[in-house]
Amino acid sequence: MSAPSQDQAPPAFTVLRPTLEELRDRKARTRQPVRDDREVLTVSMGPHHPSMHGVFRAVVDFDGEVVVAVRPEVGNLHRGVEKLAESLTYHQIIPLTDRLHYVASFAQNHGFCEAVEKLIGLEVPARARFIRTIAHEMTRISNHLLWLGIHIMDFGAITFQQICFREREYMMDMFEMLCGARLTHSFCRIGGVAKDLPDGFAERMRGALDFLPTRISEYERLIDQNRIFLKRAKDIGIFTSEDCAAWRVTGPALRAAGVERDLRRNEPYAAYPEIEFEVAVEYEADVYARYRVRMREMQESIKIIRQCLDNMPDGPILAKDAAHVMPRKKDVMRSAAAMVQDFMQVFVGPQVPAGEVYRSVETPHGELGFHVVSDGSPKPQRLHIATPCFFHCQATTPMWEGEMLADVVGIFGSVDVCLGSCDR
Amino acid sequence: MAQSHLDELSPALKAVQKELTSKFGKKLLDTSVFRGELTFVVAPEDWVSVLTYCKESESLAFDRLDCLLGNHYPGRTDQPFEVAANLTSIPNTTRLRIKTQLAEGQSLATATGIWPSANFDERETWEMFGVVFEGHPNLERLLLIPEFKGFPLRKDFPLEGLVGGRIRTDLKGKL
Amino acid sequence: MADALKNPSETDLEAVLEGGGGVPGVIPAQLDRLLNFGASFSFWPLLFGLACCAIEMMSCAGPRWDIARFGMEAMRASPRQADGMIVAGWISVKMAPRVIRLYEQIPDPKWVLVMGSCATSGNIWNTYNVVQGADAIIPVDVYVPGCPPRPEALWQGLELIRDRVKQGRHAYDGMRTIPARVAIGE
Repeated sequence: MSAPSQDQAPPAFTVLRPTLEELRDRKARTRQPVRDDREVLTVSMGPHHPSMHGVFRAVVDFDGEVVVAVRPEVGNLHRGVEKLAESLTYHQIIPLTDRLHYVASFAQNHGFCEAVEKLIGLEVPARARFIRTIAHEMTRISNHLLWLGIHIMDFGAITFQQICFREREYMMDMFEMLCGARLTHSFCRIGGVAKDLPDGFAERMRGALDFLPTRISEYERLIDQNRIFLKRAKDIGIFTSEDCAAWRVTGPALRAAGVERDLRRNEPYAAYPEIEFEVAVEYEADVYARYRVRMREMQESIKIIRQCLDNMPDGPILAKDAAHVMPRKKDVMRSAAAMVQDFMQVFVGPQVPAGEVYRSVETPHGELGFHVVSDGSPKPQRLHIATPCFFHCQATTPMWEGEMLADVVGIFGSVDVCLGSCDR
Repeated sequence: MAQSHLDELSPALKAVQKELTSKFGKKLLDTSVFRGELTFVVAPEDWVSVLTYCKESESLAFDRLDCLLGNHYPGRTDQPFEVAANLTSIPNTTRLRIKTQLAEGQSLATATGIWPSANFDERETWEMFGVVFEGHPNLERLLLIPEFKGFPLRKDFPLEGLVGGRIRTDLKGKL
Repeated sequence: MADALKNPSETDLEAVLEGGGGVPGVIPAQLDRLLNFGASFSFWPLLFGLACCAIEMMSCAGPRWDIARFGMEAMRASPRQADGMIVAGWISVKMAPRVIRLYEQIPDPKWVLVMGSCATSGNIWNTYNVVQGADAIIPVDVYVPGCPPRPEALWQGLELIRDRVKQGRHAYDGMRTIPARVAIGE
């Protein structure tokens, strides 16, 4: 138990924040013990199953209803993105990154462009940074809405998926207005963004942001104190901060364990240094805490987008760098220099320096890292993508052990896995 | 944001560099600083000891392995393979990269004893490059079918694979 | 057909199913048309979203492009209860045997809609682990290209499937075995 801070008035109710030792105890109490005389039944929760998390296969050993061991099998969606990326220029890799975690496509584009810009040493103009922030937070809202719908549907409230898809359609309409695509955006470019905000985008976005909080509060009213959800989510799937560090679990699951780590705050990029927002942290480290973190993140995202729209600076949306940046089409049609630049970028590629960088961004599901190795040519020598979902799939091994069969899908859903991102 | 674009280390990373060079000295075969990132190259024999120190040291506290990856440089004939580990310290918000270079057929000790998350990473590195990790609990194919022949991310492996597109003869016997 | 039912052990089941039983006439044909018309309003696909197209498929089943109007919202988890598959996403070599097994588990009559460019032809993933098109392994009725196709495009594809259901035609008519087995030589 931690005491409330001394320099503020004590809150109306006591906020109990469990310490790490308490969480360890709680975890030991809520997980079922493994019996010595157990008879193990091995079940393949095979790649095709009714829960909507993708083609994930877990070969689980059960002792009755209790999970004894988990052997996750991934790779059902492996495409060879890293190998394919070695034969494409940096500009051509951006649509590949879209299709990693396809629910939050722009977040991956953004991460990749940040990594390549770090490699080049390129500074992105202010307006582009703000537009990137808006788009990234839009993906956060749409990802969390989809996650909420599917998560609650996993618990049996099937209507929730339809409800959340209704809200998500508004976000996808905004994306369609912004970049033309609903799902796979490919909106980020090295040095900026592809297009400027269209006319009427700000008004429509503000309109959407005005009614989204009421909808989100409605969901909170339905779920927060719901007896069934509390029974199925409280003290289930406790994963402490040391577990998260050991198993490289990041994002909302890490923040639900009391660790105040958010790359938007710790290693800021885009417009985040200039935006005021709170990092959503919970301390219980269970499924309920992860749900609370994501609901608060949605509210914070709405605030961030509002601030970006209010403080949107004027200026170019692409950096002035002929060696690395794809110029805007309207400039290409009008200016000879831009035409030559376009020709070089399309047929040859960006002239990146040789070197190696690793850059992480805070996507809606965790920390996505791009390790780019360049040998000076326009195509990467090696691109490794450290996706959060890869490690979340691996983390099913410690997370499911000792839990009951009925809770397993709920726990898996609470860490928000997408197999396209896991298998690359 | 602009800080990381300069080739200058932050004070926290300078302290990391100082501590590691004072502890390991000659064992750090190469140091490089690029875009504010610190990279050390060590010999394969020192891999586990250096990584363990990075994790257990109170001041360094690199408690998370962000990713472990392999790389193949066919141009380097004596040591074509490389394994890199990107470390993160959550309390200090610092990052570090430790690399090692391996000859063809040379194996490397596993890091799963230090960070359990290295399990999947090392399996993927093995199946993509052929680098064997000694002491790994289950070094088998992760993303590919168990009977897959070849190591895809090596530079001499064709992108379309050894089988090709439509007629998947590698499905023979599995249907 | 009647004597086939009397002596099931002596019946060549395949001939019965393919030949139609050998009872020609106007009334059974009209009955078939009525049954097919009814069946076209209750085509239950197998829940088989693999990748990004699955999200658009779920959007299509969502409130805005409600395919429940056509009776298709009941996406069955078990292939035994399904009428067909919507293959949404690229098929990796690891997943291909499972796709084939699920396809073969769906009882006749069945239809396959292949959604997205990845399942149609492999899209940009011409790599070592992606099957370049679902029709390399299973017979396909309708292809819906796009990356991902908009829900309206999937809906048009489903309308084409419903046309096929009404006509009573299948992609596997005349096939003895699926393309995967033919190609591999099993």
